[in-house]
Order: sequence, then C-alpha cells, then structure tokens
Amino acid sequence: MQKRPYRELAISILWRYGLCVALVALAIVLTLLLQKAFSAPFWRSFFFVWVIVGSMWYLGKGPGFTAVILSTLAVDYYFTPPAGEFSQDLRNLPFVVVFFIFALVSGWISSRLKERERALSQARDELETRVQERTKELEKSNTLLLTEIEERRRAEKVLREQTELLHLTHDSIFVRDGEGIITYWNRGAEELYGWKSDEAIGKTAHELLGTVFPKPLEKIMSRLIVNGRWDGELVHTRRDGSLVIVSSRWAVQRGDDGQPVAILETNNDITEQKRAEDDIRKLNEELEMRVIKRTNELGEVNKELEAFAYSVSHDLRAPLRHLAGYAELLQKSASSNLDEKSTRYVAMILESAKRMGDLIDDLLAFSRTSRAEIKKSRVSLEELVDEVLGDVKRDANGREILWNVGELPDVYGDRSMLRLALVNVISNAVKFTRQRERAEIEIARIDEGNDVAIFVRDNGVGFDMKYAHKLFGVFQRLHRAEEFEGTGIGLAHVQRIIYRHGGKVWAESAPDEGTTIYFTLPRPPEDTGDE
Amino acid sequence: MNKLGRILLVEDDPKDVELTLTALGEYNLANEVVLARDGEEALDYLYGGGNPGASGNGYPAVVLLDLKLPKVDGLEVLSRIRSEENTKAIPVVMLTSSREERDVLESYKLGVNAYVVKPVDFHEFVNAIKELGVFWAIINEPPPGSMKRE
Repeated sequence: MQKRPYRELAISILWRYGLCVALVALAIVLTLLLQKAFSAPFWRSFFFVWVIVGSMWYLGKGPGFTAVILSTLAVDYYFTPPAGEFSQDLRNLPFVVVFFIFALVSGWISSRLKERERALSQARDELETRVQERTKELEKSNTLLLTEIEERRRAEKVLREQTELLHLTHDSIFVRDGEGIITYWNRGAEELYGWKSDEAIGKTAHELLGTVFPKPLEKIMSRLIVNGRWDGELVHTRRDGSLVIVSSRWAVQRGDDGQPVAILETNNDITEQKRAEDDIRKLNEELEMRVIKRTNELGEVNKELEAFAYSVSHDLRAPLRHLAGYAELLQKSASSNLDEKSTRYVAMILESAKRMGDLIDDLLAFSRTSRAEIKKSRVSLEELVDEVLGDVKRDANGREILWNVGELPDVYGDRSMLRLALVNVISNAVKFTRQRERAEIEIARIDEGNDVAIFVRDNGVGFDMKYAHKLFGVFQRLHRAEEFEGTGIGLAHVQRIIYRHGGKVWAESAPDEGTTIYFTLPRPPEDTGDE
Repeated sequence: MNKLGRILLVEDDPKDVELTLTALGEYNLANEVVLARDGEEALDYLYGGGNPGASGNGYPAVVLLDLKLPKVDGLEVLSRIRSEENTKAIPVVMLTSSREERDVLESYKLGVNAYVVKPVDFHEFVNAIKELGVFWAIINEPPPGSMKRE
C-alpha cells in the first residue's frame, strides 16, 4: 500500500509509453512466431488483446489506448493479407474494425476493472486503516479498563480491610441512614447490645435500642447538622433488657449536595464508670455529711468549752477577788491585833489568791488561743522580733545580755499570735539565763524543707532531755517555783500557736548548757518554692 | 475638794458591792453612790416613777455597770441607756470580772465609755475603783442635767 506512491513516481510517463510500445512489439514477434502453428484468425489477435488488457491494467488509460491503436495497426499490417503492408482490400476491413472494437472493449473493460479494483483497494485500505485505528483505540481503552479494574480491586481490598478493622474494633459502631435505619453494625455493637449484625440491620436504631436522650432529639440533630458531630451520654436497652449507659459520638456523612445521608454512631459502655462515679459521689456526700456532723459536734463541744471558759472568767474570778479583798481588809483592820504568825498567814492567803488569779488568766488566754480565729497574712519576723525585743529588754534591764539576731524571713501567719509565741520563747530565754553573768541569746533561721524554721538559743540552765516530752504540756514545769517563777503555760501556748499554723516545735537542751527552741512556720504563699 | 458627781453602781454581788464601796470610801467618793442590785432596778431608777429627770435630782455623773446581772444584764442596760434621749450622754463604765473578747467588743459596739476588768489583787482593785471614781465623778465634766455635789 505504502509503496504505491513510489511506484507511481518510478514509472514515468515515458517509461509507461515505452513499455507499451515494447509490449506491442513483443506481441508482434510472438504472433509472427506462432503464425504457422495457429492459422485461425482468433489467434492472430490473442497476444495483442493481452497486451492491451495488460497495458490498460498496469500502465493506465493513455498507454492502453496507444496499445489499442498500435495493435490495430500491427494486425492490419502484419496479419491481414497481404502481409507486410496496410490492407487496401475492403474485405479485410471488417476484421480490422472488429479487432479494433474488440480491443477497445477489452481495454475499456480492463480499465474499468482496474478502476474498480483501485477503488476497491482504496476502500479496503481505508477500511484497514480504520480497523487498525479502532483496534488501537480499543487496545488503549482496554488497558485503561484493566488499570481501572485493578485500581478498583485494590480499593475494594482496602475498603474490605478497613471494614474488617471497623468490624473488629472493641467500640460499638453502627451506621444509620437519614431515616434512622441501621445499615451497618459491627462486632463491638453485637457484643455490647446482643443483636447480630443481620438482626440489627434494617431496624430503626432508636427503636431497637430504646434510646434515652439527654435532651430532645431535635436539638441534638440540629447540633449535629451544624457541627457535623455530636457527643453525649445515652441510655440504651440491650437485647436482654438490661440498661447500658454509653458515651456516644455521632458523625454525619454528607452527600454531594451537602445533605446528611448517614450517621456514624460510636458508643462506649461507661456504665461501670458511671456506677463508680456514683459510688464516689455517694461516698463523698456521706463523707461530707459526716464532716458536717462532726464539725457540728465539734462546734457544740467548742461552744461548751467557750461557755466553760466564759463562766471561769466571770464566776471563778469573783470569789477569788473577794477572798483577796477581805483578806486585805482583815490585814488592815486587825493589823495591830495580829501576831507575826497570823500576819504571815494572811499574807499567804493573799499570795495564793494572786497566784490562782494568774493561773486562771493564763488558762483563759491559752483557751482563747485555741478558739480564736487565725487571721493569716505576710508577717516580717525581722520586724516582729525587733518589736518583741523592745518589750523584753525593758523587762530585763540591768542585765548583761548579748543579743545575736540573724537575718529572719517573712512568714505567713497571724501576727498577734506569732507575737505571743515569740514573747514566750524569748522571755523564757531571758528568764532561764538569769544566773549567767553574761547571757547569750541567739535568734536565727535554718532551712527546714518548705517551711521556715526559727530557733532561739540561750546559754541558760537548760534541762534534762528525758523530760523533753513534758516541756510543752499545760502547767508543766521543769524547775522549782522558787528558782524560776511562772505558771508553766508559756511553752504550751507556743506549741498551740505553732500547731495552729501547721508548724512543728521542738527543743534541744542539756542541763547547764542552755536550751534551743526550734519552730517552723509556713512561708508566704507567693514565696513557696523560692530559695 | 471638787464637786463630786453622783455614781450609779449596778452590782448584784453584795461582796463586790461592799468591796467597791470600801474602795470608794477610802477616797471619800462613796457618799453619792446609788446602788442598784440588778439590771431591772437600774432601769427602774433611771426611767421609773421617781426618775432623776422627773424628780429634779439629776442624772448620775457616771454609771458603774456589772456585765453579768440577774433579770436584765449589763449589756441590755447599756443599750437602753444609749437609746434613751435623756440618758444617752451619761458616761457608762463596764466594771466586770470578764476580759472575754466578745464582751469587750459588744460593750464598745453599744457605746460604753470604758471597760475595766476587776483585778483579783485588792490593791489593784482599790486603785482601779479610785481612779474611776476620781476621773468620772470629779475630773470628767458630765453632760448637763446630771447631779454634782459642791
């Protein structure tokens, strides 16, 4: 097919006509050679007809027609008697004419056939081209189709695997369509609710599960449509009729038009958790009730104590005052009549009354420390100690005391209570160094965890550590009254104050070697973690 | 001697009365003491039929008031004195055994002029009474309408 243009190019017009002439010449030679064997006039034209047909067929109409003319002339010249010249005999004319017409007809038929054949071949070629093109296209689409099928198969596999995973998850998952009909039900859902997948699919979800919503479904749905998801707690009924509380999460799947087409609902059983929470809440409530009850009881006790203290304050002091008053009056009115002994007795009565008055006052102050409300604020121990030292030094005038006060921190507490504690500790130090010619008292801080620890150290008489446990008791004294005065309530007071601040208090001592009292106090809230 | 104002002593305990009067007597302050044995008597004296305002005797220069009293207690008496137009200017001194904070606080809230805790020690007691008597009955200028002795 593709060769045709080349051949057309190769066979030039000259070549075609030359070949035509040569063929006619060949036909003359062949006819002359066979003239003797075939005498019938038909055979005289045999080769010429083939030359004409061949020229028409292969060389085109021009050469074909030339072959017709040349053949007619050759037949007339060579093979019509007289041979070797053109016939002038009219008898020969019909033969030549018949030959000419026959040659012409043969040539025409050949030419037509050739045209037909060419058209046919052209049509065939076109057809073939189209078939090839179509085949190519088909091949291409086939490849495409194959790829597509492959992809789809892969996607299906992935989808199947994912579905399988979704099916395997412990969470209970189901999908319902726009009407609430269940379209998917995983193994988690089967296990949680008791219905198999084929039993659940096709049912209306909320009817099957008897869902109890925390708020109207319309509200939930509107939230779901707006946000695309919703979560909350639902109560469902299992197949066996038992209730299950679930933490439910809904996600909406939208169609191409943005309208919801399905809802994926994931539910987790939180019944146990809720029960535990309930238990804890109940326990807490009970505990709170007990705390309230206990607080009330304590409040009652406190009130009673307060009433007791109040009564002591009023009623116990009055007779004591009278005792002292009348003893004094007696002393005055009968002084001339009383002997020395009796005068001393009256003096003893007065002294005892006074001591009892002091004890009552101290006890009341101590009870007040326990009952009073603590008003905490940032307190500068540096300032407070300065203030206390002012008072204490005034009381200890005339004595030589070497004060060694280090840098002191700020603490968090009730200023007046802390002052009371410091007064007690520092005046103790002054009191118990009384026999020292040169008293030394050191006040400083040490680190003690999160709290601030302060110590007050003296070089006084000290005490035996085996009595340390008695040191902070009410009315406990480690020294005889004629050695050191006091009611024995000072350190009890200190301990109560420090305890009420959440601190500790302790002592280190040895007889004749001095005493160190330590106590801790909380740092101001804003300082916690510093230093 | 300066002019001496009348003292209204409201005290239920006879021993305390005796000791107080003795203390006042030691300094010649006891002559013009009116005694009320409980809150009711005190109110009766101040607002009853023969009340100082009506009888023309004049109101006391100072009231020494015990806190714990039968029937009507000291705080009630104080509150009544402060609420009446005729008596609200009279100086009132709480003279009591208690130094309970709430008593002190309540007394000052009601408008007491002084709050004195009776000391156990008799000397201190006498001193306290003496100073009270001297200050309120002699030094202090009482409100108009109260009785003063020339």
